[in-house]
Amino acid sequence: MIKNYLTIAWRNLMKNKPYAIINIGGLALGIAVALIIGLWVNDELRHNSYFKNKEKIAQVFQSQTFNNKVSTGPAIPRPLEFALRESYMDNFEHLVMSSWDFQQYLTYGEKNLARDGNFMQRAAPEMLDLKILQGEKDGLRELNSIMLSKETADALFGDENPIGKVIKADNEHDLMVTAVYEDIPFNNSFHNTKFLIPWEKYITLQEWLAEAEDNWGNNSFQMFVQISENVTMERVTSNILNVKKDLSDEHVEYNPQLFLLPMKDWYLRSNFQNGKQVGGRIKYVWLFSIIGVFVLLLACINFMNLSTARSEKRAKEVGIRKTIGSQRNQLIKQFLGESFLVVTFASVIALFIVLLSLNGFNELARKEIVFPWSNPLFWLVSLGFILFTSLLAGSYPALYLSSFRPVDVLKGTFKAGRHAATPRKILVVLQFTVSVAFIIGTVIVMQQINYAKNRPVGYDKEGLVQIPTFSQDFEGKYDLMRSEFLSSGAAIEMSSSSSPTTRIWSNRSGFTWEGKPDTFQEDFAYTYVSPEYAKSLNLKIVQGRDFSRDFATDSLAILINETAVKYMGLENPIGVILRDTDEEDPDPPLTIIGVVQDVIAFSPYEPVKQAVYEYDREGEGSFYNLRLNPKQSASQNMAIIERVFKKHFPSIPFQFDFVDEEYGAKFAAEERVGTLSGIFTALAILISCLGLFGLTSFVAEQRTKEIGVRKVLGASVLQVWNMLSKDFLKLVVISCFIAVPIAYYIMNGWLQEYPYRVILKWWVFALAMIGALLVTMVTISFQAVRAAKANPIKSLRTE
Amino acid sequence: MLLQLNNIFKWVNSGGQRIFLLKDINLQVEQGEFISIMGPSGSGKSTLLNVIGMLDGFNEGEYQFLEEPVHTLKEKHRANLYKEYIGFVFQSYHLLDDLTVKENLEMPLLYKKFKSSERKAMVADMLDRFNIVGKKDLFPAQLSGGQQQLVGIARALISNPKLILADEPTGNLNSKQGEEIMGLFKQLNDEGVTIIQVTHSEKNAAYGSRIINLLDGRMI
Repeated sequence: MIKNYLTIAWRNLMKNKPYAIINIGGLALGIAVALIIGLWVNDELRHNSYFKNKEKIAQVFQSQTFNNKVSTGPAIPRPLEFALRESYMDNFEHLVMSSWDFQQYLTYGEKNLARDGNFMQRAAPEMLDLKILQGEKDGLRELNSIMLSKETADALFGDENPIGKVIKADNEHDLMVTAVYEDIPFNNSFHNTKFLIPWEKYITLQEWLAEAEDNWGNNSFQMFVQISENVTMERVTSNILNVKKDLSDEHVEYNPQLFLLPMKDWYLRSNFQNGKQVGGRIKYVWLFSIIGVFVLLLACINFMNLSTARSEKRAKEVGIRKTIGSQRNQLIKQFLGESFLVVTFASVIALFIVLLSLNGFNELARKEIVFPWSNPLFWLVSLGFILFTSLLAGSYPALYLSSFRPVDVLKGTFKAGRHAATPRKILVVLQFTVSVAFIIGTVIVMQQINYAKNRPVGYDKEGLVQIPTFSQDFEGKYDLMRSEFLSSGAAIEMSSSSSPTTRIWSNRSGFTWEGKPDTFQEDFAYTYVSPEYAKSLNLKIVQGRDFSRDFATDSLAILINETAVKYMGLENPIGVILRDTDEEDPDPPLTIIGVVQDVIAFSPYEPVKQAVYEYDREGEGSFYNLRLNPKQSASQNMAIIERVFKKHFPSIPFQFDFVDEEYGAKFAAEERVGTLSGIFTALAILISCLGLFGLTSFVAEQRTKEIGVRKVLGASVLQVWNMLSKDFLKLVVISCFIAVPIAYYIMNGWLQEYPYRVILKWWVFALAMIGALLVTMVTISFQAVRAAKANPIKSLRTE
Repeated sequence: MLLQLNNIFKWVNSGGQRIFLLKDINLQVEQGEFISIMGPSGSGKSTLLNVIGMLDGFNEGEYQFLEEPVHTLKEKHRANLYKEYIGFVFQSYHLLDDLTVKENLEMPLLYKKFKSSERKAMVADMLDRFNIVGKKDLFPAQLSGGQQQLVGIARALISNPKLILADEPTGNLNSKQGEEIMGLFKQLNDEGVTIIQVTHSEKNAAYGSRIINLLDGRMI
């Protein structure tokens, strides 16, 4: 029986090849999209699955309230560790203090590398369950030890056994390699942590780190915990919520609240708005899941429409089978079987499409997805998916076709009734509604990206290069290096700063000034810059003057940005003095000497933050900012700069970033979404048009006789074309009017997340509608014109 | 007795009027009969045949088939009944275009869940009996009308039905082919198969043992 069904199904496909290609090809595309999105979603959801204790690991977060606005982040003060260790350890299996990701220069013999890593407490390898390849798991026991990732160890030591060898970190500290651990895979936190050094070493590095020991106000550290077996995250959060508030009197006014962010939320749900968890990347997981389902649905609709449209041809078969003794459910099974065959066939093609495009997709989506060949669960899910799609695509044709009564269809005059095409029309409307909504969505995403990209950044980011100067080796070398670089001819100006140009690394509060309201809780982006900062960035001074080495008083001078002027409520900012509120050991008062233009240092989608730039005579910042010589090419300049750099710092790897590229990276996430949704939209439209193409050719075929008669009676090609196109164009117009409000609603919601956002314009919607109509028209016309041009004698004879 | 129709009425409502397709039909058919239904176009011949074949329902009356009250049976039972006992032959053959002669013959057996080996034997037997072994792998479109009808009859016979219903079986054939088919029916009838045919032709009707004349849905 099954063989009989398959034979019929196969011959049916072969007899009508264009139909088969549209059906299988469209479905294969839809399945490929769904499959790729499925792999992507799976990858996103499996983030951090490398860690055995994933369910029990969390990071301690802190929410504080400044000027009635709650800000939330992972930064916590050092005394918290002691407080928790003293009275709350029954909540925790492990508690690990950690630095931020730190770049270090690692040197062994002739080899030196720059790698990111962390200073962590002893329990870290146990908590993260690092897979130790060589050495011991308890590798952070001794002060001067270091654990290396496999990749780092290989790069430093090659074939040598690294265990017990001593390497230099930042040309300063001798550290003994105690362990080599397996590289943490790409889609996991700590993927970039290429080495671990004991926390105890960290706090000896700089004075302020040690001093932070009893300072509840210095939120410069991270804390990871693994909670005990018998407690929940919520329970621990409620236990530690007010620890800081209770123990540190002076910070009560900021209402510090501590809570745990579970490891499973780090990646997908790490956004906070006013102290509340508001998702994060999970919204893209949802977005793409929905897109995947819709694209698949579009492909299934094609299958349904084309099957039912061809029903008149299959009607006879149904009639015969029924008179011979087939029951309805047998016919339903038969047609479902056919759809199963087609879907399986399409799935195999989809598999090839996925395999071929996976690399490109990985590149686009910044992923390292490998095809799960050996995962039985994947194949199981795929089989389920094929069955589900067969049901989805085949159920309607199966029910419809099997309902024919043999007496009706065998008379030979069977014509589907006037309303038989109605469900088909509804499905076409659904398809185009989705397609038009996709078009609008994509256009708006692109617009928003362009809008933010075109926003003036406040400085000249072209031809600006930053070189990290984290190592002690750079101490006291600023003036020398500046004159070296300038005289080399590769740079025309240079400055140093404590933060990169495209980021805010430190914020500061604790100031008072004349006219400051009593309850005002100030918070400034704070950067130390050398006197040439504004000149090197081409920053405009809008009021007052720039720093100058000629004025000795400038060592206690600051520049503020335009936003800060408004923020502080100053009428005339020049000469205003900022005093430190620390009563025991106040820093000297600082005088505002100038106002600089606003600079986008954080998100291009958000307002510029109030900023203070403090004069740093010695240039002890973390970056050199070089304004390249515009008369030479960038590669020439960089070659010279590298040579000069290597002359003075032979043992430090030469690293640099072009500031405009760094700035461009801020758009990466949105651009990825834009590109991907653009591709998926194109596919959705292609699939919809394939279906429409199939339907028009079917209608044209069905009405061959009518067209013949009309032409004999004098209808022109244009009139016939109009007759055939009108019906479909009507459907697309209806879709547009359904799609526009839906798309408006959704996209408006998306844009609300960006304080700096494009205003939705009506022409975007009009353009999408016109675009959809044009594409439809072209698709239909292929068949319509062919049908209209056919010689009527021929078409009439065949009847 | 094979089947019995008592006071069968069938009508459709059109524009507030009731149009009768069948009016008070009373008919008894014994095993081994060869009945011809005749009458002008639109007199209800095919409708009557479809009612007998259980492909179509009726509005009033009783229908007994092998002592089973067909009018009270559920769809599924009815299907089992005609699957078991009735074979259909159509004017335009109604073979499945996508299947070969052999596969067309095999199809009714599939629905009756015969085993593969049995099916093969029965199909081979039937091909042999109708002398179409050489055509078994051809598709219907590759056969002449007469040959197609031969396959159609073979398909109707393959599951050993008690009753064959033929709706103008020679209507699409030339006279020579028609004679052959009618000869075949005669022969089958002699072997004991009950046949009811619808026909326009007096000559074909003469093959039968009884003629029923219909006019406007009534037997006259």
